[in-house]
Amino acid sequence: MLSGVVALAMTSCKDKHNDQGTEFAPNMYHSVGYEPLSQSEGDTNHINPYGMNMRLPVKGTVPRKYYGQEAKSDSIDGTLLETELTARTIKSGDMASSESLLTNPFEPTEANLEAGKLQYERFCQHCHGETGKGDGLVAKMYKGVPIYSSDALKNLNDGHIYHTITHGKGRMWAHGSQISASDRWKIVLYVHQLQQAP
Amino acid sequence: MITIKRLKIVAITMILGFFASVVGVKAQDTAEGEQIFKNNCSTCHAVTDEVVVGPGLKGISQRRPIDWIVKWVHNPQAVIASGDKYAVDLYNKYNKAQMTAYPGYSEAQIKSVIAYIDAQAVAPVAVAGAAPVAGAAAPAEGASNGGMMQYILIALLGVMVLVLIALLSIVSSLTKLASVSPESAEAQKIPLLQRIAENGKKLASNSAFKTGAALLITLLIGKATLDSAYGIGMHQGYAPEQPIQFSHKLHAGQYEINCNYCHTGVYKGKGANIPSANICMNCHNAIKRESPEIQKIYRSLEKDEPIQWVRVHNLPDLAYFNHAQHTNVGGLECTNCHGEIAKMEVVQQRSSLTMGWCIDCHRKTEVNAKGNAYYDKLVELHNTEHKGNMKVQDIGGLECSKCHY
Repeated sequence: MLSGVVALAMTSCKDKHNDQGTEFAPNMYHSVGYEPLSQSEGDTNHINPYGMNMRLPVKGTVPRKYYGQEAKSDSIDGTLLETELTARTIKSGDMASSESLLTNPFEPTEANLEAGKLQYERFCQHCHGETGKGDGLVAKMYKGVPIYSSDALKNLNDGHIYHTITHGKGRMWAHGSQISASDRWKIVLYVHQLQQAP
Repeated sequence: MITIKRLKIVAITMILGFFASVVGVKAQDTAEGEQIFKNNCSTCHAVTDEVVVGPGLKGISQRRPIDWIVKWVHNPQAVIASGDKYAVDLYNKYNKAQMTAYPGYSEAQIKSVIAYIDAQAVAPVAVAGAAPVAGAAAPAEGASNGGMMQYILIALLGVMVLVLIALLSIVSSLTKLASVSPESAEAQKIPLLQRIAENGKKLASNSAFKTGAALLITLLIGKATLDSAYGIGMHQGYAPEQPIQFSHKLHAGQYEINCNYCHTGVYKGKGANIPSANICMNCHNAIKRESPEIQKIYRSLEKDEPIQWVRVHNLPDLAYFNHAQHTNVGGLECTNCHGEIAKMEVVQQRSSLTMGWCIDCHRKTEVNAKGNAYYDKLVELHNTEHKGNMKVQDIGGLECSKCHY
């Protein structure tokens, strides 16, 4: 009986899934600087709404990654920046401009296609399926995911696919905030390959 | 009148066509229609009455005249724009979803598709519905190491208590024998409770027993103190309740959505990122819209208020950690540190995230140097002086300032 009581006492203390436990010297644990996702008592951000540390990028700005770079076409970064500056001026409803103005800054080399496949697997496959037949596991719930090799889609160009990923099209919503520009262009390379798949 | 006549002719030709196809004369037509339908239409339309995204196409040849269908397939947007009442109603009924235009199809091709649809309606081949997705089997999560340890301790405690009881009974019977033997009859007259109290008093004055008890209590207190001291700052097993009951088991497990789809920073930055509501909406604009949990996302979007997810893994600020270095450069899987997230209904911190845990891995793990030019010279240097592959500890993975600065 005694051991039973002890066992009960010990297990009753185990139910603390919501409890983080004791902390030692919390001022060494909690960041003084504003971390993007920090969420601890005492360092609430008083300037931003809801105490958030993250803000949306200022409208009309380009990521600092491109800081100090010139839109030259002799390096891939330069070409990317040039394409990106054009792409950012195209409005989300303006598919025609994307089709006519944008071309892929990446060549369909083996490495680029491999990288595109990797990004496709991470961001597209659960809906569009492994071979672009619209048969991903989520597509069964979401419905209406097209087949890349269908007659209406198999000849779509770089700009059209890039615009679709960035701003969405039909039932698909915008994915531009999740995937970097260079990764989107690599996905375009791989999607071209799937368009030609039988 | 003319259209009805025409329709009849179309219908008759179709029925004839169907019978012909059965005999194999006009099989070409329905076969072509079937191929076109399956490659282009089936993702949004069913051959039955079922609504997928657009209307089910069963009986379309009776509903609409063929030249309207051709015009619609060639350019649905233009038909809607022309103010055609049927088209506008259709557009409004199906959530203003625009159908893809297929300007490349000839009238004959479109007719072959209709022939295929009608053929399906006359002789419905059992359309195999998508097999229900089998829920991922949920094996019972094995007790963690800490749990095992506790059970062993409890068992030991039980054994100790039993030994104590046995010893006590021996002591009491011995004292009884020693003290009572001459006048046992008299001793029997003393009430039981009094005897127990007397024995207890004698036991309490026994120095060996006192030392033993004191030692036992000290050991137990010491063990409890050490345990709680080791537990300071350790959040292993922490599984806080979240504002929305999001299930990783469903999303990452059953539907196999890649971690990176929502945790956008995991291969690129220090933090893996918690998805913003627009990422939830990429699917939940259509899926499970009525669920009260999903409604919370909509409310947060309407009010432009962030969803306040509770952070599970809190690495103290005194230690630097970078996701990209481990996932992208090191090529580690997420499960390596986070455990089997794809099986967790509620996310729990599985690893201890202590320094010993970090160091242990840095001692054992080989650097993922293949195809990474940054490591070429280091590997070369390492191979001239050491045998075996280059591990993280060989290139400063145990230096204090690597993580603490």
